[in-house]
Amino acid sequence: MNLVRHRSVAILLCAVGGLCVARSQEPASAPRSVWDGVYTEEQAKRGEPIYQKECAACHGDQLSGGESAPPLTGGAFLANWNGLTVGDLFDRIRKTMPQSNPGRLSRQQDADVLAFIFSRNKFPAGKTELYKQSEMLKEIRFESEKPAEKK
Amino acid sequence: MRNRKPFRHFRFLCVVFVVFLIAPLALPQTPPKDSDWPSYAADLAGTRYRPLDQINASNFNDLEIAWRIKTDNFGDRPEYKLEGTPLMANGVLYATAGSRRAVVAVDPATGELLWIHGEHEGKRGGAAPRQLSGRGLAYWTDGKEERILYVTPGYRLICLNAKNGQPIGTFGKDGVVDLKLDDDQDIFPDLTTGEIGIQSAPVVAGNTVIVGAAFREGMTPRSMRNNKGYVRGFDVRTGKRLWIFHTIPKKGEFGYDTWEKDSAEYTGNTGVWTQVTVDEKLGLAYLPVESPTSDFYGGHRPGNNLFGETLVCVDLKTGERKWHFQLVHHPLWDMDISSAPILADITVDGKPIKAVAQPSKQGFLYVFDRVTGKPVWPMPEKPVEVGSVPGETYSPTQPIPSKPPAYSRNGVSVDDLIDFTPSLHDRAKEVAAKYHLGPVFTPPTVSKLEGPLGTLTTGTASGGTNWPGGSYDPETHIAYIYACNACLEPIGLVAAPKDVSDLAYIAGTAGQEVTILRGPGENAGADSPKPSKKKAASQYIPMNVDGLPLMKPPYGTISAINLNSGEIIWQIAHGETPDVVRNSPALKGMTIPRTGQETYNIGTLVTKTLVIAGEGQVTTTSDHPRGAMLRAYDKKSGKEVGAVFMPAPQSGSPMTYMYNGKQYIVVAVSGGPYSGEYIAYTLPSESE
Repeated sequence: MNLVRHRSVAILLCAVGGLCVARSQEPASAPRSVWDGVYTEEQAKRGEPIYQKECAACHGDQLSGGESAPPLTGGAFLANWNGLTVGDLFDRIRKTMPQSNPGRLSRQQDADVLAFIFSRNKFPAGKTELYKQSEMLKEIRFESEKPAEKK
Repeated sequence: MRNRKPFRHFRFLCVVFVVFLIAPLALPQTPPKDSDWPSYAADLAGTRYRPLDQINASNFNDLEIAWRIKTDNFGDRPEYKLEGTPLMANGVLYATAGSRRAVVAVDPATGELLWIHGEHEGKRGGAAPRQLSGRGLAYWTDGKEERILYVTPGYRLICLNAKNGQPIGTFGKDGVVDLKLDDDQDIFPDLTTGEIGIQSAPVVAGNTVIVGAAFREGMTPRSMRNNKGYVRGFDVRTGKRLWIFHTIPKKGEFGYDTWEKDSAEYTGNTGVWTQVTVDEKLGLAYLPVESPTSDFYGGHRPGNNLFGETLVCVDLKTGERKWHFQLVHHPLWDMDISSAPILADITVDGKPIKAVAQPSKQGFLYVFDRVTGKPVWPMPEKPVEVGSVPGETYSPTQPIPSKPPAYSRNGVSVDDLIDFTPSLHDRAKEVAAKYHLGPVFTPPTVSKLEGPLGTLTTGTASGGTNWPGGSYDPETHIAYIYACNACLEPIGLVAAPKDVSDLAYIAGTAGQEVTILRGPGENAGADSPKPSKKKAASQYIPMNVDGLPLMKPPYGTISAINLNSGEIIWQIAHGETPDVVRNSPALKGMTIPRTGQETYNIGTLVTKTLVIAGEGQVTTTSDHPRGAMLRAYDKKSGKEVGAVFMPAPQSGSPMTYMYNGKQYIVVAVSGGPYSGEYIAYTLPSESE
């Protein structure tokens, strides 16, 4: 049963992903990226203690990773997710973290932690909080490089 | 004993598999040995070498994927840290896989699953210090029977019939030896949660299986007391213990006096968590031993601490010590001997020497006569800095090999800092100024807010060569070794709060809450418990400048070292320049030669003409989408001769074999968004 359910979700996500691509080709609606202020400073502040409690033992106080877990800041982290969507990263956290009990945190907590990670990676904060729905987050592209026109 | 039931349950499932799958397992005739890959490192000598040449410089770029095995379903959660190297023996490929550390047997041409075996260990597996899929397994045959051996996360040695994956009933108890028993110590606090395990592959030589031990990360131990990592030999037919080597000597044994104040009684760790190497002809096994309890503080274990960070040669059949050489006295830098010693029959100044060469985190290749233990080139004791951490004792000297020269950075000076532009260099100096700097063996400091925050090191915990080890061509006597050349480790010590640890000092940074750091796979595998609550926010100190690595390139290298002459004959940067460097606005208009990548866990493969290694980081370039490359170099010159795309970084070392006239290269990839996968590459049929 679980397998079937997962497949359905996967098909649904693929469909959403397809829509995303289709939309991005419309000149009138440029896709948003992590450089467009997709979280708030307040949200990142909320995420920090959650990160330190739930994530830092493996990923490090400094988000610099360790032997057990990769860094969540810096070149290797940015390269890992470059070109994917924030929804992909959110789902990775949602489905596999914390490793000892995946999915234990609420969607809101996961989004807050992600906002904290974004703040540490110097993606700009904005006026609206990071979504907590994967489908909506898949509309936001993860781009490691700051677009030139937005400097 | 309460775990017995689930084990049995899973074995039942295996039986079901076998009923359906035993038919296709008609074994072909035994092929020539050098076309198989029957041991973790290709052979017992730790060479990672196969003299195959179907895949070569002229066609490497033509490689295509023959098959792939996604490991998500081999456990109750996917794994993103697949580190295994499969074995190929007698027409079947075997690997550990998934968060369950299942064993799979697959068809080497198609990847078709032939059988699977897994052990549900419940709380014992969930409490294991080293979880996830591990690095591999061992194969044994007497020409009739074939067996597969591996160690579960819960530290049980399992012996399977290679033909069908069924436990060998006459081995141990129903195919299992409980490694937490009969270990010349009582594992505390109990067999379920007692800290000891291993993630590397057992080694089989003759009829002896050798198994070491591993523990949690040792930077922030909860106690100066821990279980000890003894090494044992077992009879491959019966599972009976043949011998044990006490890596921390017992009272009355040689080396006990190197643990002052009776510290050998309570100090633990000091295991052999990486691969053991064996010379079957000489009947000798080479044990690379790790650090004692507490990586960075030795105040509770005064003395040199034999056999911590020592290469120990023992008799294969008795475990009796033949010789030893301690690479680091009174270890304080987490310089575990981290990889398989390499056996090399070399000729130095006209004299043939049966040698053993030991790559290291500290970038030295230590070369000894493997019969006598005498250094091939002098390793004089040289004075090193003595620190001032309260309660610590220091060795005033350490052995420094005179040859070969260090093949990676093992200290940090201002000259090592990024210098693409004067401005970047100045800013890197500002970061480094918060730390104590110095050459190899510069000791840790107490972390102070006013400075130093610690000693900034490289060539320590994750520097140089780690568990994948080196590789070696026995025909040309050249070793090929990957090293992280820029993996920084700030080592600061803080007084440990009593509710955190009973040590006086553990690793930490002034101004930050003191916490226990977790190790590889800890609380990450199947059946893991929930984490405990902890901690408040902390100060953020990036080890980069504008996202650029603090150290200057090359960040990661492959070195070719001639073991006859003790000289580095070439050294190249391995790995595409990271996106963050290539795309840095601060470097716009500058031409930056390939930098390699800061990755600590890359293993190399050597064939007749090539050195092959994948990248440890993902990049996105004009030549390829987001992914990593499996690269091939001309082993004579180091010149790159080909590269093929991988969807994720290399996370386990590559291996190769011939099967039905075709050469294959299999590599484990995983990381970031990509869960564990074995990928087999081969040439298109039309190229044959």
